[in-house]
Amino acid sequence: MIKAFPPGAPARLLVVLMVLIWAVPALAAGTPEADELALDPNWKAPDQEDARERAKEVVPFIEAVVDECQLCRQQRLRDVGLGIKDITHSYFLLESPIIKQRENHYGPVRFMHTKHAAAIQDCAVCHHARPADKAAKETVRCSACHQESFRSDHPERIGLKAAYHQQCIDCHRTEAKGPVDCVGCHPKNVPDHKELVKLPANPAPWDVTAECLRCHASAGEDMLATSHWLWRGHSAYTLDRQKHVMHGKGTTAINNF
Amino acid sequence: MKLTRRGFFKIAGATGAAAAASRSDPAAASPPPEDPYGCLVDLTRCIGCRKCEDACNRVNGLPPPERPFEDPTVLNRLRRPDERAFTVVNRYFPGQLDASNQLVPTFVKIQCMHCQEPACASACIVGALTKKENGTVHYDVTRCIGCRYCMVACPFEIPAYEYHDPITPRVMKCTFCFERISKEGGLPGCAEICPTEAITFGRRKTLLEVARKRIGENPARYLDRIYGEKEVGGTSWMYISAVPFEKLGFIDVPDKPTPKLAETIQHTLFSYLWSPIVLYGLLGGIMWTSRKNRPESEDEEGDRR
Repeated sequence: MIKAFPPGAPARLLVVLMVLIWAVPALAAGTPEADELALDPNWKAPDQEDARERAKEVVPFIEAVVDECQLCRQQRLRDVGLGIKDITHSYFLLESPIIKQRENHYGPVRFMHTKHAAAIQDCAVCHHARPADKAAKETVRCSACHQESFRSDHPERIGLKAAYHQQCIDCHRTEAKGPVDCVGCHPKNVPDHKELVKLPANPAPWDVTAECLRCHASAGEDMLATSHWLWRGHSAYTLDRQKHVMHGKGTTAINNF
Repeated sequence: MKLTRRGFFKIAGATGAAAAASRSDPAAASPPPEDPYGCLVDLTRCIGCRKCEDACNRVNGLPPPERPFEDPTVLNRLRRPDERAFTVVNRYFPGQLDASNQLVPTFVKIQCMHCQEPACASACIVGALTKKENGTVHYDVTRCIGCRYCMVACPFEIPAYEYHDPITPRVMKCTFCFERISKEGGLPGCAEICPTEAITFGRRKTLLEVARKRIGENPARYLDRIYGEKEVGGTSWMYISAVPFEKLGFIDVPDKPTPKLAETIQHTLFSYLWSPIVLYGLLGGIMWTSRKNRPESEDEEGDRR
């Protein structure tokens, strides 16, 4: 799946780029060879591991919240000056033990916090209530107020699982954007690819792509229509990127494999 | 008044049979439980994922479905609970349109309503069906004789029968997960799995308050009616909706408990066995007066013979 490019200068640019791509990690890593590093089975994405650890936390239950309308809440958040810049964690794995102790049928949902915040531009949509405690933070995580379902001391408060589903599905419906089916957000039970993937000892990048496409042909077709292929630089909606020059894969940068 | 020998046995036989029938049904006489569990189904929250059917099938060990639970075409036709499925979700299009002119579906979960005063338990002649303190209408297969009166009696047409099994057929209906909810913190399978908490489990009294609160806080979203609050004397399973219940296949039932009429007659006639006592007293009186009025000569003649 090599994207067609005109012969001449871009081809040379490709060679240079590839040399750079291969050289940089090898230099950065020091002693181990580049391909050794790529195949390190113990390597884990640090942000994923960080999110996994955070998902395990259970915070104290918030008994009372301020009773106010959504507009009041919106305006107050604006007055306080809270916005995307204040986001401390941009990525979450929704895998709370509160839900898992009852039901555990799906893998965790990966939630892009900053991406949603940037698209909605209104914290009050999800952070719809503040704790009554004056000392508490203005916005708290979902699981601070929503924990076990059907609590007899708070029968009107929905549980965490329902809070996620109602919030996500309702908004995805009204915005006509984002998945509303189960496997749209939850990963399916993925089989172990160790046995399935067959690669030569020292695979070239295009060998890997070809091996993926052997089973995921339609995913390859879809990929050609996504921003991963047609990327034209940072979105104008991304904070502080409004004035950046567009030069993504869809324009000057080259998709190599 | 002449009372023939045959007439006397007719009356005596009928009275005795009726008295026996009234005593063999202890459940019917018991009052509804005071603080039963219940479930509140919020039809505005249901997304029709059929996870409740899946969970119900799993926790009750029911046979696998003909079509998988993920198959959305199952919703294309209306279904009823049967001996293979204690609960089913149906999809209705009551006529409302969304922003892109598409019909908005409303999903309705059907299962046993677990009436406060169940007609099935009243009709059951062997006490196999009983209303438990925790709200369950419980079926005891060891008592059941397979007469299927419960199926005739149920105003919601819920109990089903294993006609395919000639040796040990059972009446099949939602159990309200009796064993599970009897445990501390136990939940019915469907309520536990529901992703949107369209099913809220709790004490019936609490649920009524929750339902009223939801309706009160969002009158534009809900109709001011709780189906099951008063229907057939109240049910443990209750529904709130945005769409009139008549459009969603809900059966229009009276507020009076179904067994009320039959039980009133029975219990009035046979409490403390007053009616047989009065009847036999009356008969004895008739006999006594008729013997007294008989001419003495007849008696003497009879003696001689």
